[in-house]
Amino acid sequence: MARLNRDTLVALLLLVFCGVMISASLEIEETNYGTMPSSVWPQAVLGVLTVFCLALLGQSIVKAPAPAPEENTKSGGIGRYRNAITVYVLFFLFLLTMPYLGMLIGGVGFVFLSLTLLGEPELKRAPVHLAISIGTIGLMWGIFTFGLGVLLPDGELLQLN
Amino acid sequence: MIETLIHAFSEVFSLGNLALMTIGVTAGLIAGAIPGFTIAMAVVLTLPFTFGLSPVEGLSTMIGVFVGGLSGGLMSGMLTGIPGTPSSIATTFDGFPMARNGKPGLALGLGVWSSFFGGIFSAVLLVTLAPRLAVIGLEFGPWDYFSLVLFALTITASLSGENLVKGMIAGALGLFIATIGEDEVNGVARFSFGIDDLESGFTFLPVLIGLFAFSQLLSDLQDRVRARQPLMDASSADTRIKIEHLKAIRMVLARWTNLLRSSVIGVFTGVLPAAGGSISNILAYDQAKKASKTPEKFGTGTPDGIIAPESANNATAGGALITMMALGIPGDIVTAVMLGALLIHNVQPSPTFISDNSDLAYAIFVAFFLAHFIMIGMQSVTLRLFVLVTRIPMYVLASVILAYCSIGVFALNNITYDIWVLFVFGIVGYVMRQLGFPLAPIILGVVLGHVAELNLSRSLAIDSDLMLFISRPWSLFFLIVSVFSIGFPWFQKARGTKAWTLAYIPVLLAAVSVPLFMMEGFVRPIIGVALLAFSAYLLWRSAASGWKVAPEGDHKVHLE
Repeated sequence: MARLNRDTLVALLLLVFCGVMISASLEIEETNYGTMPSSVWPQAVLGVLTVFCLALLGQSIVKAPAPAPEENTKSGGIGRYRNAITVYVLFFLFLLTMPYLGMLIGGVGFVFLSLTLLGEPELKRAPVHLAISIGTIGLMWGIFTFGLGVLLPDGELLQLN
Repeated sequence: MIETLIHAFSEVFSLGNLALMTIGVTAGLIAGAIPGFTIAMAVVLTLPFTFGLSPVEGLSTMIGVFVGGLSGGLMSGMLTGIPGTPSSIATTFDGFPMARNGKPGLALGLGVWSSFFGGIFSAVLLVTLAPRLAVIGLEFGPWDYFSLVLFALTITASLSGENLVKGMIAGALGLFIATIGEDEVNGVARFSFGIDDLESGFTFLPVLIGLFAFSQLLSDLQDRVRARQPLMDASSADTRIKIEHLKAIRMVLARWTNLLRSSVIGVFTGVLPAAGGSISNILAYDQAKKASKTPEKFGTGTPDGIIAPESANNATAGGALITMMALGIPGDIVTAVMLGALLIHNVQPSPTFISDNSDLAYAIFVAFFLAHFIMIGMQSVTLRLFVLVTRIPMYVLASVILAYCSIGVFALNNITYDIWVLFVFGIVGYVMRQLGFPLAPIILGVVLGHVAELNLSRSLAIDSDLMLFISRPWSLFFLIVSVFSIGFPWFQKARGTKAWTLAYIPVLLAAVSVPLFMMEGFVRPIIGVALLAFSAYLLWRSAASGWKVAPEGDHKVHLE
């Protein structure tokens, strides 16, 4: 069986997404005021989106699948996205722990861990990374808190505000 | 007008504002010089700092970054051969050879002064044309506005990548994202799925920063080895270069036809929604080469090859500001961010913006002028800073900027929900980039979605007759150009090889003459006659040559 074209898969997923959203759009409350019901515009947009997704599906089926780039096979699937996944996981943890750690400690932690995991994995670099993270986040925190008067979340651990 | 201008001068020339603009221009020059750091990214990252500033200060700073970014790209392009931004790709064709031939000071001088003159030319047009275009904009009814948004989206989709369908999907997705949350017209919650936060929808800026900046940084980090290396090898770049200002000014002014033509190309490209400096610099270079008596010298370090792209890309900025300020339609991602900045300060750009907020509008004009003078002054200083910054590895810069993004986004509304929005759209943007979807249409879709829905609703409230979209001249005009903009990728692909492409422009001209005939007055129908005559001439010329096709430019046109 021929390899499933990536665009075909994307088009199918988008069509499912359109289906779910069209179904959700049927639940939009109908008001007895206003000329244009609230569901008309989203349904029109979703209709257009569905047509384009069908066009992408047709295009991907008609067009011969391009040979996979060499680097893909060399770097081996998900390995290519290691840095991106690492950052997303760290950012997710940063957000999750924000009510407890706050922006200052959480930000320093996020930058330090990002630098350590993305950079050269050497112990001697850890102090440099720590200095960068404290320096940069401290500076930005200071500018926003004292310069721009923004009350950044301080967290339960270090209540400054 | 003079009074307003004097008031604008006094506001822009205040010490605090001058300092902010200088910082903005410097930051723009450095960001523009770093490959991988687009001007849009620099402007996006500047925005959070402007929340606490007055509208004049905030927008002046962002204009400083914009102008600086457009001129910063030439530094790395000329000294290392790697253009800092897509807006300075064509500058590298002749700038780098000239610098390698022992004239780096002259090359930089030509680039800097061409940027300056191109920018000043567009600033003059901005001041004179924007109010007039706004007057035309006042003629627009909701039907016309809706069609204008449609045109902005179709042209963005058609110019933003190889795959038109993906561009269209991205635009439609942007429109859909804008529908999430409470409906502006009836106040009904849509697609909130019982989540309270979703009922308020998405604030535009976290979405934009997530889609654009967050995903861009993650893409820059993808190559693990390169992410650990310094941004670029600029060690060979001599920071003690003396920019030859006087010689460069003389040379640029001596080639005034090239300067003028390229600046006009730049302004026109900027006025078009979605077309930015990345397109205008290549178009201007192509035209300069065609018009030159010595086209064979292009690519070897000829001054005309530097003057054309650099004057064009700075002139584009003025053009983009004309559309944004006069019609409230952003020309590109940078002006979309500026539009967002105006919204933060409760200013809604529309045809009445210049008359209702004349102080702010004229302050933007003055700031745009002034930014070019500051850019000249700061170029030598940033040359040294640029070499220092390029020593930093991407992973350090990206990690710090990501944290900064979260602080900046939080500062917008003081709610953590906005950082979650940033995170989610960071993932969406990254996945879309990986799958080959252009991001410019989705961003414009998000920005223009509300405008489109509001105007559709208004038009139906006034009259339910859908034929008004075709019978109203401006609406018809925008619908016609939308159709042709959809066909543009096929035209571009087949140009020089297929005979039908010879009829594409004449048919477009003939088609747009129809709404012009429908307009009132004498001038527009006369323009319609002129367009029709020109269309007939082009068709006659092609028929006379037996519909023979000849290859034209060898540079493809697409967005950043």
